Amino acid sequence: MRSGTRAVRWGVPVAAVAVVAGVVAAGPVIAAVQGEPSLPRRTAAELLADAAEKWQSGRLPQMSGTIVETASLGLPALPAAGGATSPLGLLSGSHQAKVWYGGPDRLRLMVPDEMNESDLVVNGDQVWWWDSAANTATRVKGAPDGAGRPDAVPYAKTVTPAQAAEEALRAAGTDTEIAISEDATVAGRAAYQVVLTPKEAGSLVKEVRLAIDGETLVPLRVQLYAKGTAEPAFEVGFDSVTFTPPAAENFAFTPPPGAKVEETTAPSIARGPHGKDGKDGMDGVDGHDGAAPRVVGDGWDRVVVVSLPKGFEGDLAGAADRAKGARDGDGVASLANGMVKVATPVSGEWGSGRLIRTKLVTALLTDDGRMFAGAVTPEVLYAAAAAK
Amino acid sequence: MSSHETLAHAAPLRAAGPARAAARLLASETALTFRRPRHLALLAVLAVVPVLIGVAVRIASTDGDAGPIIARVAGNGLVLAFTSLSAMLPLILPLAVSVVAGDAVAGEASQGTLRYLLTAPAGRGRLLALKYANVLVFCLAACALVVVSALVAGLALFPTGPVTLLSGTTVPFAEGLLRVGLAVLYAAAGMAALGALALMFSTLTENPIGAIAASVVLVVVSQVLAVFPQLSALRPFLLTSWWSAFDGVLRAPMDTGRMGTGLLVFAGYAAVSGAFAWARFTSRDVTS
Repeated sequence: MRSGTRAVRWGVPVAAVAVVAGVVAAGPVIAAVQGEPSLPRRTAAELLADAAEKWQSGRLPQMSGTIVETASLGLPALPAAGGATSPLGLLSGSHQAKVWYGGPDRLRLMVPDEMNESDLVVNGDQVWWWDSAANTATRVKGAPDGAGRPDAVPYAKTVTPAQAAEEALRAAGTDTEIAISEDATVAGRAAYQVVLTPKEAGSLVKEVRLAIDGETLVPLRVQLYAKGTAEPAFEVGFDSVTFTPPAAENFAFTPPPGAKVEETTAPSIARGPHGKDGKDGMDGVDGHDGAAPRVVGDGWDRVVVVSLPKGFEGDLAGAADRAKGARDGDGVASLANGMVKVATPVSGEWGSGRLIRTKLVTALLTDDGRMFAGAVTPEVLYAAAAAK
Repeated sequence: MSSHETLAHAAPLRAAGPARAAARLLASETALTFRRPRHLALLAVLAVVPVLIGVAVRIASTDGDAGPIIARVAGNGLVLAFTSLSAMLPLILPLAVSVVAGDAVAGEASQGTLRYLLTAPAGRGRLLALKYANVLVFCLAACALVVVSALVAGLALFPTGPVTLLSGTTVPFAEGLLRVGLAVLYAAAGMAALGALALMFSTLTENPIGAIAASVVLVVVSQVLAVFPQLSALRPFLLTSWWSAFDGVLRAPMDTGRMGTGLLVFAGYAAVSGAFAWARFTSRDVTS
């Protein structure tokens, strides 16, 4: 065979590689060619006011889409951090969920896992948590103040961009600089970008970027940047989204035959950190409920305080065993166990304990069995520990 | 054990229409594949494993406090089909496909039958296409065999009825069967992508064991790489990451998005490996 035809023949696989690489790279390249979208100018105040009005009136358009959550907090590898559906599992790596939103009282959130799936289905006053791995359907009884509302459930609270954005705006008081940045494309849609920059020196947060859909004003993405990093430490946003009413089947859940059916009330973790001030959360803490978290401080310097299960500091394994049964308690205990291994010992006027620092979150585990955590510098945690 | 005799009949058949001739060639090639003792042993393993899983689940389910996965299978025989597919897609099915596809060209070369094959006026490109078509048939047959064996075992050992999907929704038995069929097609597409890779390795060497080993090693290494959280950016590009997406048929609504992406990945792997195999096979000097 002549060398000329041979070269032509080898051109075919090279072309095939080029085509496949082209398809893989098509998304970013098209986005780069199109450049930034340009939406009609609005000031930050106008935009936030319009958006807030829209969210508060509950007139968010019906929609469905895929949400991707990515966290690179620089945490140590969490031992037994649970699967994709565990709250602690969300602290590292990238996770995907699907959401169907059919109105304020109709929501389905689906977290797929290999040959398994977890679903949160909210339909009117019915709230179900379905876990196919455990073959368990849990009927969630809402808290007395908001029976069955989606935000009575911990998972919905932090996972959908709308709720995360609302949360960020609530946290932003007078201690935040709010600006509009260049428009962005999120899930193929043109979006406004609002940049929230904390003024407090004690915060480890450089800025929070909110992408708000230019047409519907639905928040499409929230990115959290830690000081001194170029990539977001935490990001939750739509990967794809369509603003059409989802099919009604999504909100109809009946426990399948053979499944274990349980009932529970919304865990206190859903209410504690989101109270208007730290005090109402503090009331809920008593000696028996060791894992109930509360919040001290306000604005960006808020610190979550968890009293660890009794006897934790002396007997780690025993504490983990005792905390089992309660899902949140289990997670907190395993997180604390993981922390102990990598933390540096610190001490001060507030007492002594162990400190763990990451890009975005600092956590302090005191020797008297309390855990302080927040997106703040260690000094803020020491002050919180001293205040008791 | 070669197919040169079948190709010798090729010339008169071509007069009856290229499509029919190709079908006849494929039929005889497939018959050869399914008659080889080595391949029959592989198929027997593929058929026995689901039965073993079913029996194990049956024994485990008689204990009072069996796990939820066991309860799910024990509650409906159809679920055994999905469980078997899920258990066998990571290694056993890829191994079988690698053996058949890795042997396709290198096996003929090592036995010295490749040059006789190439004397037939079929053309090297066409011969390669025939070999790959045979691999495709084997992929589909292997996946279907796993599921049929699981269905037979499942129906014999466990009750049947409406199927509970992963989403907690219940669908009628007939729809469950349809979903099993879709899962088989998806799994076969995933195996076909691996088959193309193994066929490419097969054109690179005259040693069939080398091609088979290369393909299996690739499968294992990809799955090991996918375990490390630090390498999670690699995961979407690995062939093995997309095999398990057949579970999309078990969700309500069906997760067509992820499965569609999976099929695109399979097509990409098949196209690139197929092109390399073609370039190598049509330009190499066949000496044996």
